[in-house]
Amino acid sequence: MEFKDKRVIVTGGTKGLGKAIALSFAREGAWVGVNYSSDDKSASRTEAELEGLSTKSLLLKADVSIGADVEKMIGSVLDQWEYVDILVNNAGIIRDKLLMFLDEEDWDRVLEVNLKGTYLCSRAIMKTMIARRFGRIINITSPSALTGRAGQTNYSASKGGIISFTKSLSKEMARLGITVNAVCPGIISTPMTENLDQETKSNFLNMIPMGRFGEPEDVAWAVLFLASEKAGYITGQVLAADGGLT
Amino acid sequence: MEEIVNNSEALCEYLKKMIIGTLKLEGVTVQGIDSSAPLFREGLGLDSIDALELVVAIEKIFNVIIEDEEVGKRAFASINALAKFIQKKYKQGK
Repeated sequence: MEFKDKRVIVTGGTKGLGKAIALSFAREGAWVGVNYSSDDKSASRTEAELEGLSTKSLLLKADVSIGADVEKMIGSVLDQWEYVDILVNNAGIIRDKLLMFLDEEDWDRVLEVNLKGTYLCSRAIMKTMIARRFGRIINITSPSALTGRAGQTNYSASKGGIISFTKSLSKEMARLGITVNAVCPGIISTPMTENLDQETKSNFLNMIPMGRFGEPEDVAWAVLFLASEKAGYITGQVLAADGGLT
Repeated sequence: MEEIVNNSEALCEYLKKMIIGTLKLEGVTVQGIDSSAPLFREGLGLDSIDALELVVAIEKIFNVIIEDEEVGKRAFASINALAKFIQKKYKQGK
């Protein structure tokens, strides 16, 4: 029980990768707050699974791209749990289109959820971490940020922004006992990747030296490692759990 | 806390102790801090990361929020400036 009674928030934590991360923390004894924006059904299912695992859990419905919503969400967690040790900024969306056809709305929305959401949640949580001189912020990025990918200019820009954000924030927080790192998940079996067409899937598999898509748990362990006490001297880094893809 | 906030001299002493304690300043005493000297750079030698810790401590202790960097710069100009800032905000919050 490495995370016994540690207090964790996972944004986008009720589906796919975020859910696997949330459940992994819960299995290790953490209190887990899972944020989601709209899918109440999967949120209820995740809530039920968490209740069976963790000592305490919270379901947090909020749009991470709206400052007031984020402040309210974090405020309600702090009211109930007093402080938070670990924040996993996982909430993310894709709206893939070649740039020529990428309209402003799809550009803005991806940047708002993925990058602005990471900024807003990190900002809202940092005071409680500073007060306790302990914290772990782990941001989920993507191979698209490191190598680029056609059709993902908006998504790769948002995830590349997250890497730069991670590195800069790590410099601000290092002296205060707070580490800030990123995890790069590679191509993982999630609802998001299920929507890819067959040709794209085959192309991806050919690019992965391990010859398989990752499982959400493969990434969850990387997140848990960076969140652990053992990783206290690691900050500003990008840890890829991607089967050798990057 | 209200008693301390209403007494400028006591508040300045409290703030000096708070700064020494929060930032774990070694070799610095309450008597060694000039209330009118700058807290940052040439004065106590604090930096912007120290300010983050002080912002959090002040909010926790006095329930006074330093909402942006400009306000912070004015508030942290010296111990006297910080005391005045807290007294003003504390009264507004009452």
